[in-house]
Amino acid sequence: MQKLKCAVIGGGAVAERVHLPALARCAGIEAALIVDKSAGRARQIAAQFGVPRAATDYRDAIGAVDAAIIGLPHQLHASVAVDLLKAGIPVLVEKPMALSPGECDAMIDASAASGAVLTVGLLRRCSPSLQWVKRALDAGLLGTLSSFDLSEGAVYRWPVASPSMFRREGGGVLADAGSHVLDLVLWWFGDYRSFSYRDDAQGGVEADCLLDLEMADGVIGRVELSRTRDLRNSCVITGERGTIAVGTKTDSVVTVTWTDGTSLGGRGVVGDRPSPTNLVDLFEPQLRQFVNAIKFGDAPVVSGAEARRSVELLAACYRTRRLWIHPWDAGASAGASETDTLVEAVR
Amino acid sequence: MSGLRGTRVLVTGATGFIGGRLVERLVREEGASVRALVRNFTNAPRIARFGIEMMPGDLLSAGVLDRAAEGCDVVFHCAYGAQGTDAERRVVNVQGTERVLAAALARHCRRVVHVSTMSVYGDPAQGDVDETAPRRYTGSAYGDSKIDAENAALGYCDKGLSVAVVQPTIVYGPWALTWTIKPLQQLQTGRVILVNDGDGTCNPVYIDDVVSAMLAAAQSPAAHKQAFLVSGDRPITWREFFEHYQRMLSASATVAMTADEARAHFAASQPGGFVSESLRVLKREVRKREALVREHLSPTGAGRLALGVAEQLTLLPRAGSPPPAVDAVPIHPLPPSKVPMFAAKARFRADKAARLLGWRPAFDLDRGMAMTEEWARWARAI
Repeated sequence: MQKLKCAVIGGGAVAERVHLPALARCAGIEAALIVDKSAGRARQIAAQFGVPRAATDYRDAIGAVDAAIIGLPHQLHASVAVDLLKAGIPVLVEKPMALSPGECDAMIDASAASGAVLTVGLLRRCSPSLQWVKRALDAGLLGTLSSFDLSEGAVYRWPVASPSMFRREGGGVLADAGSHVLDLVLWWFGDYRSFSYRDDAQGGVEADCLLDLEMADGVIGRVELSRTRDLRNSCVITGERGTIAVGTKTDSVVTVTWTDGTSLGGRGVVGDRPSPTNLVDLFEPQLRQFVNAIKFGDAPVVSGAEARRSVELLAACYRTRRLWIHPWDAGASAGASETDTLVEAVR
Repeated sequence: MSGLRGTRVLVTGATGFIGGRLVERLVREEGASVRALVRNFTNAPRIARFGIEMMPGDLLSAGVLDRAAEGCDVVFHCAYGAQGTDAERRVVNVQGTERVLAAALARHCRRVVHVSTMSVYGDPAQGDVDETAPRRYTGSAYGDSKIDAENAALGYCDKGLSVAVVQPTIVYGPWALTWTIKPLQQLQTGRVILVNDGDGTCNPVYIDDVVSAMLAAAQSPAAHKQAFLVSGDRPITWREFFEHYQRMLSASATVAMTADEARAHFAASQPGGFVSESLRVLKREVRKREALVREHLSPTGAGRLALGVAEQLTLLPRAGSPPPAVDAVPIHPLPPSKVPMFAAKARFRADKAARLLGWRPAFDLDRGMAMTEEWARWARAI
C-alpha cells in the first residue's frame, strides 16, 4: 500500500528528536516535506533525515502531502492547523492543542467541515503503565478515591535555540509539560469541579506552578510542576483500599499498596511490545493510530474534543492565576507581610 | 532604593546564580528595564519568568555586546568562564570582560558593575584582608584571570568609563551551586572532609547581600573606580558553616583530617593511581579471606594491632559492623588545590562598602541559613 506523504511543520527540537525518528520507523507514512521559518534549518534537518523537500511556508504543504504533523510554538498551533484542516489535510498537532477553548473549537470545526482527521500529540496516553492505571481506576481497584498528588519537574534540559520558547503568549511549564499532566488528570479522574492555581511568572512565563483541584466526584488533587527543580515525577493516588503510585513520564513501574501495607509492583504490558523507554517509543503508536484513522477511519488516540478538555483547564488556570512567591524571593528588606502584599497586588 | 526605576540595564551571566537573583531584584524591587545576554536558553527558565528582554549571544560573539549595551544606563557584568579548559575560561574572563567594557564605553553607559572575587587576593589569602591588599597571582587559572579582568575593568576608568568592582566572598543561599547545593549533595551522599577539623576561616555572605551591594555600587557616585569586598556580618569556621547544613539534614557527615591527610586521601582515591589500585586489590583479597585472616591474627597482640590497621585502611570492616557500612559512606575526595583555602585563616573586611556605599549585610548567618533551608526544602535539595 502507498505510504502517506507527511509534512513536518516546525523544524525544532521536537521534530528532530521525536517526529522525524518516529516517521522513519512507521511503515504506513513517510516524511515528504519539512517546513521551518529558517530556510537553512529546514534544509539542514531535511538533509539529516533524507526528506526530499524543505520549505519556509506551511502552505506549501497544501496539495503536496496527505498528512501533517505540527510542532510549532504553542501560540501558532491553531491558525496553522485550521488552514491545513480546511484544505483537507489530516493533522496531528503537538500539545497543547491550542491555548484557548475558542481556538480548539475552530480546529474541531475545521476538521468536521472537511472530514480531515484531527488528533493531538498527548503521547502519554500510549504509555502502558498509565493506561494500566486508567483501567485500574475505572475498574474500581482502590474503591472510592479520595485524593491524588502529582509532582513532576526537572531542571530544564530541552535544547532551545532561541527565546521563542519563552514568549509569554506560549505559556510556561503549565502549557508545556503541564499539558500532558492536565490531560492525564482529566483522563483518569474525569471533570473538575473547582480549582486554585498559582505560579511564579511576573511578566514572563512560569517556571514553577501549583494547582489544587477538586474533581466532580469529590476527589481532591494537587499538581506541582517545575522547570527548575528535580521533583519525584510521579502520581500517588489514594483510595479507600490503598494507593497506586506511578511514574508519570514515559513508562514506569506501577506500585499498588493496600491499606494493610502489603504491596505489589510491576509494569503494564501491551501484547509483546517492549516497554517504551523514550518519547519516540511513545509517539510511534500514536502515529500509527493517526495513519489508521486516515486510511481506515479508526478513532485517533486523542481526538480534538478530548484534548480540548485540558486546554479549557489550562486557559482557566492562566485566567485566574495568583502569584506564587516564596520568602526567599521577597528580598533583603521584605518580611512575610510584604510578601503577602505582593501576592495581593498581583491578584 | 528606586534610583534604577525605569532605567535600562544590561546583565551578563543572567542565567547564573548571582545574575539570576540580580535580575529578580532588578525587576521586582528596582523596577528596572532588564536586558539579559543569554548564551544558552536551556538555562533561561528562571529569568524567563519576567518580562525582560533576552538577547541571544555570548561575550565573544562579534557585535553582540555593542547591540546589547545600546541604550543601557548600567551594565552588570556577572558572566565568567565556567566551562572548558583553563585557557578557554581565561579567554571568557579576560577578553570577554574587555569586550563588555569596550561596548559600555562606546555606548556611553553610565556605570559598569564588574563582579570579581575574593580570590584576587590570593588563593587563599592570608590574615586580615581589605581592598588595599595587593592582588596576588598564584597560578590559579580562575583567580589569576579574575585579577586581569579586574585590572582591565578599573583601567577603563582612565578611558572615561565609570566602573565599580564587587568582590564577593563565599556566597551561599538559594540556587548557590558551589556553597549550598554541592555541600548538601555531598553531605547526603558521603562524608565531607573538614581540614584541620574545620578550624579554617570561612567568610560567608548571603546571596541577597551580594546583590544589594551590586545595586548600591551601580548607583553610588562614590563607587567610581573602586573595588568593594562583600562579605557577611562575621567570619566563622568552616566547621560552623558545614554544621548549618548538617543540621538541615539532621545528619553528621563530616570527617576531620589534617591537610596532609586530606591530600593523601585524594591521592589514594584517584582511579588508576598506584596507591588506590593496590589498596583496591588488597582489600578484595583480604575480604575474600576475612574469616581466615581474623582467626589467624586475633590470638596475638601484634595480630590484633594489624587487624586494627586493616580496619583503619578499610581493608576489613570494623569488627561487629555490617560490611557494607564502610563503603556505603564514602569520603568525598577533596582536591589538593582546595585544601589551602579550607586551612587558611583569612578574614575579609567589608568596611569600605559600608563606608562608601552605605551597604551592610542584612542577613546574619542564622537568618541566611534559615532562608536557605526553606528554599532547599522547596527545591528538594534536602
